[in-house]
Amino acid sequence: MSGTSGVDVERVTFGYGATPVLDDVSLEIAAGEFFAFLGPSGSGKTTLLRLIAGFGTPTTGRIRVGARDITDLPPWSRNVGMVFQNYALWPHMTVAENVAFGLEMRKVGRAERDKRVAEALAMVGLDALAARRPAQLSGGQQQRVALARTLVIQPEVLLLDEPLSNLDAKLRVEMRAELVSLQRKTGLTTIYVTHDQEEANATAHRMAVLDGGRIQQVGAPLELYDRPANRFVAGFLGAANLLEGELAGSTFRHSSGLTFDLAEGSAQARPILMVRPQNLVLAPAPSGMGVIRHREHLGAVLRYAIDAGGARLVAECPYRAGEPVYGEGDRVALSVRPGGGALLPA
Amino acid sequence: MTDRGTPKWRRRAALGLAVAAGLGLAAPARAQLEERLVIITSFSKDVTEPYAKAFMAAHPGVKVEILNRNTTAGVAYVRETRSNPPDVFWASAPDAFEVLKKGKLLEAYKPAAPGIAEKVGTFPINDPEGFFFGFAASGYGIMYNTRYVKANELPTPKEWADLKKPVYFGHIGISAPSRSGTTHLTVENILQAQGWEKGWATLLEIGGNLVQVSDRSFGVPDAVNSGQYGLGIVIDFFGLSAKASGFPVEFVYPGETAIVPANVGIIAGAKNPKAARAFIEFLLSDAGQKILLDPKISRLPVKPAMYANAPAGYPNPFKDTALGSRVSFDSLLSEGRYELVNSLYDRLVTFRLKELNAAWKAIHTAEAALAKKANAEGAKLVVEARRLASTVPINEADANNKDIAGAFQPVSKDKKPGQRQAEFEERWDAHAKKNYAEAKALADKAAAMAK
Amino acid sequence: MVALEAPLAARRVGLLRRWGVSPAQLALAVLIVAFLTAFLIVPVSRVMVAAFEGPTGFTLVHFGDFFRTSLFLESFFNSLYVAVGAVVLASLLAVPCAYFLARFDFKGAGLIQALGVVPLVMPPFVGAVAMQLIFGRNGTVNLLLNDWFGFRIPFMEGLNGVIFVEALHYFPFILLNLSASLANIDSSMEESAQNLGARGWTLFRRIVFPLAMPGYVAGAALVFVKVFDDLGTPLLLSQTNLLAPQAYLRITSVGLNDPMGYVISAILVAFSLMAMAASGLITRGRDYATQQRGGGGLARRPLVGWRKTVAWSFIILVVVLSLSPHVGILLLSFATVWSFSPLPDAFTIKHYATVFADSAHMMGNTLLYCGLAATIDVVLGVSIAYLVARTRLPGRRLLDGLVMASLAVPGLVLGIGILRTYYGVELPGGVPLATFWGMLVIGYAIRRLPYALRACDAALKQVHESLEEAAENLGAGKLTALRRIVVPLITGGMLAGFVTSFATAAVELSETLLLVTRDVDAPISYGIYVYMQSPAGRGPGAALGVIAVIVVALGAWFSHRIAERERLRRGRGGTA
Repeated sequence: MSGTSGVDVERVTFGYGATPVLDDVSLEIAAGEFFAFLGPSGSGKTTLLRLIAGFGTPTTGRIRVGARDITDLPPWSRNVGMVFQNYALWPHMTVAENVAFGLEMRKVGRAERDKRVAEALAMVGLDALAARRPAQLSGGQQQRVALARTLVIQPEVLLLDEPLSNLDAKLRVEMRAELVSLQRKTGLTTIYVTHDQEEANATAHRMAVLDGGRIQQVGAPLELYDRPANRFVAGFLGAANLLEGELAGSTFRHSSGLTFDLAEGSAQARPILMVRPQNLVLAPAPSGMGVIRHREHLGAVLRYAIDAGGARLVAECPYRAGEPVYGEGDRVALSVRPGGGALLPA
Repeated sequence: MTDRGTPKWRRRAALGLAVAAGLGLAAPARAQLEERLVIITSFSKDVTEPYAKAFMAAHPGVKVEILNRNTTAGVAYVRETRSNPPDVFWASAPDAFEVLKKGKLLEAYKPAAPGIAEKVGTFPINDPEGFFFGFAASGYGIMYNTRYVKANELPTPKEWADLKKPVYFGHIGISAPSRSGTTHLTVENILQAQGWEKGWATLLEIGGNLVQVSDRSFGVPDAVNSGQYGLGIVIDFFGLSAKASGFPVEFVYPGETAIVPANVGIIAGAKNPKAARAFIEFLLSDAGQKILLDPKISRLPVKPAMYANAPAGYPNPFKDTALGSRVSFDSLLSEGRYELVNSLYDRLVTFRLKELNAAWKAIHTAEAALAKKANAEGAKLVVEARRLASTVPINEADANNKDIAGAFQPVSKDKKPGQRQAEFEERWDAHAKKNYAEAKALADKAAAMAK
Repeated sequence: MVALEAPLAARRVGLLRRWGVSPAQLALAVLIVAFLTAFLIVPVSRVMVAAFEGPTGFTLVHFGDFFRTSLFLESFFNSLYVAVGAVVLASLLAVPCAYFLARFDFKGAGLIQALGVVPLVMPPFVGAVAMQLIFGRNGTVNLLLNDWFGFRIPFMEGLNGVIFVEALHYFPFILLNLSASLANIDSSMEESAQNLGARGWTLFRRIVFPLAMPGYVAGAALVFVKVFDDLGTPLLLSQTNLLAPQAYLRITSVGLNDPMGYVISAILVAFSLMAMAASGLITRGRDYATQQRGGGGLARRPLVGWRKTVAWSFIILVVVLSLSPHVGILLLSFATVWSFSPLPDAFTIKHYATVFADSAHMMGNTLLYCGLAATIDVVLGVSIAYLVARTRLPGRRLLDGLVMASLAVPGLVLGIGILRTYYGVELPGGVPLATFWGMLVIGYAIRRLPYALRACDAALKQVHESLEEAAENLGAGKLTALRRIVVPLITGGMLAGFVTSFATAAVELSETLLLVTRDVDAPISYGIYVYMQSPAGRGPGAALGVIAVIVVALGAWFSHRIAERERLRRGRGGTA
């Protein structure tokens, strides 16, 4: 079994009782894709991942890896590699023994096994620690062992369950980059569960945002960032100004009297306007509707908290030479950068 | 002697014995014996080993297998292994044999060995219907630890009545009659010798002095041997063999003792019946009877002629008329109320020992106080306290009543639904608790008056 | 696949899915149920049925009688009092010992741990005699006290005496299980608490003890049930007004085949089950599974200063107290006569000569039977604990309860039941199955299974499920994951279970007396019984008792060595 495959989740429901953990979830993940499940805790993202790995069986729906329907296969027959959040390294085995385990299960011969274990450990840079036990390794090293242990079996799909959550911040960024480069190198279909949108943005080709056991939106990170399907996605992927109002042609009018000219229209009569802080344009205007309430200097960016006729908005402006800098109490005129506003259903 | 004492069957059996002996049935027949002989026994290794060795020497083709069981486990084993039973059941407790006999688990046989006595004391040696046979006799008595007695400055006891004395308070042990067939016979013996009411009064007054009612026969000699308490009401060989093993103990037979046989029987459906019969004949032969005199065994032969070889001072119930012959034992009476007496003793003594001790302790204290300083009213209270602490809650007629005694016998299909054992027991327990508490209160009051 | 089969197969898969089991797990469950049915349910029911039999068939009137009988109610409350008291006293003995052993670097910790098992090995009769000779009212201690100070301490009198002896006898249950639990605590748990400012007693009370709770509760529940159901000690102390002796006395009275004994047994079983269920409730919902590091135990510290004195004094006190009966047995085995004196009159080695000449084969038999029985127990214990913890099989808690119920089944009842059920079944060659020595092994295993089950269950609770899932993910089936991952990780608990089963089986008597059918098949406990029936047999009986204790202590020591090596390997300080 070699080569990588796509994953097809078809109308999967899972759970007992009235509120299912997963509710009619469908997804198509292409072969070679780095795909993220993003959502808050309790959203069902880990459950979905575990269903793909075979820990639990959907109440209804099918799961396919490539052309294979794996819905009823036990975990050990799926060839879907998973790295657990706590790494789940076996404390009674050495690093090498941990990594060799999957090959043993596949009845790989001794010589071949040793060779592949060595390769896998070399790939994650731990060849020197093969004889150690997990308890003697640092968190980052344990993470690499877990990864090596999974990759060595050449799974068709790699599942990562919050793989970086147990690491410190610096290590997290490093490992993230390593994961991405590893994935790009191997082209292995990878599903990555995280609650951290930055991690998802940084790694995934595409991602699915989950909440309450349902998929809220699927798409590339930028697409989701710019064109969220609903309030939840808009808010979960980053800071967003959300304004309820009426749309007349391409002019959006907020109840406060604030108006924005947008480049697009919408079929909805009362949509929600989402504007990312960096897409809100400020201009000095003594009679402007916005009043600067607060300013934060974040280095390359200045962040303003603005009160506009009762609406509270956040704007971020690059801090560079020649740009105006506003102080608290200053009045400004507000507009949306062309294409910088998105209309969401109410 | 009454008719009951010597029924017709007995005379016939005796005749049969004589005839069999005359025909030479006892002649060794080793060629025909089976290769194995499986014996279930409650006897200790000290008893079984010499016999097994001697028997195998006499019958070289037979391999004796001894299965040691306490009596309960032995009976249960025989009962559960009917499809492929052992050959011989060999134990002290006559009641176990009664149970086996009732369960049709024994096979009748007529031992041919000559010279065996018919009775020991007043107790018939063999089962009237020929299902089990006495091979040795033992009598109940008092065993005491000489070091203990000396250290506690106790007088040497001679009679059951001595054990009622306040000086023995907290120094005596007994095994429960429900747990030891031989203790049961002692209790029944006292009841028959002194009469129901008076007998129970004696038992309860001795009960007041008891420190332990053991759940197993050997628990009592064990404790006396160790010196945990000083006196034990035990069967003679426990005392005699302990003395022979070097323990600082002595044994005395009281006047009203029961000399009872230890028995052996062939199990129904025995796989090796010839060897089983040969074993019984061996037990009753001169060679077999002689082994009983071994100091580690110390049981009384049932063949009176054997006492000629016994060491000096060896008790001989066939000659020493004081031993066991004072009481004419009525075994039918005993059998009819067997379970009832056991249960009654447990309710009144075993399970209420603490309360009984307290009542008698108070009575002793009051009497001692009154002896120093007389007080008529106090004396009256003590008499009442004594009455309360020594009254049995059921009269003899009821105890001998088949329907009432029957409530204590094993559940069987033909048993009439009537009063249940549990109901009687609850009544007796309440009686004991209440009476003992009242007795203590009265005695305490009397003691206070004598201050 | 034939078209017809498809829905059937699908339904089958559906059912397995709902139960969360693989076919292999299901097969395992079926095997276990079959074993328990054959050797526990059927034999015991065939005896216990007497509790429900009246003159006209089925009846519950005897149960009514139980509750109408004040002696039984009194006995019930006495039993409850004694069991609770014994748990408290046993905890006071065991918890500090377990903690000291887990916390500090002790020279000879292994020895102490092994000695911790020895109190469980109380050979029948000899143990009682020795106990009386040491702690009895005219035992060594009291004779000396009386000589020197003119008073005695009633160690072995009344219900409190029962509590004292029971606690000394059974505290190892807590020690063993708690030690296994402590060894599984991740040191980072403790370190993080220290980091937050907790230390000393607070650290123990708030962090360490709660984390080790599954082990403590497992042990305490065993002590409770065992004491509640015990009859040896109450009879030794002549305390008959407790439930177990009441049941036993009634069942074993010759000719008294009355139902009440079985009614009491049934009530003992029911109450024991309730106690175990309660202990299950206490630990349920507490996920103490160690994450990632897989334990390694608390960080060991060297003992210094007054702490060292305190710890050592305490441990020595416990060891001396709990081993006194064994010292008594040792003295007895070398004694000529020992009667009403602090020490025997003289010493001799002839009892050992007797024993080695007559009963050498019994030692081999004990090793064989108890080894096999303990192995069966551990295999079953791990399997059952695993099925309960890791599947949703219907009735899995019932299975657990069923096993725990055997704790309260009197050995005599099981022995009679096995004879009744299997005596008619013949092995090839016409030998009744019940007389085959293997039945003795099974009898031992059945009644000791609860020990192994609780030990394995507590250990399993501390293994995070993801460790197995990782193995499954890498291609291991359920049973492979169990064998390769779970079993090595719960070695400590398994060994604790093994040792407990072995130790208690080595001195079992009631089943032994029914199921031993030939002298060549007899184990040591039978030999002790036979010797102890006569005054001359006391010495040889004690010598056999000493041998039984040594056999068990050696076994415990080796087990400890293995467990300790495993702990070191998994800990951070170990080397590969």
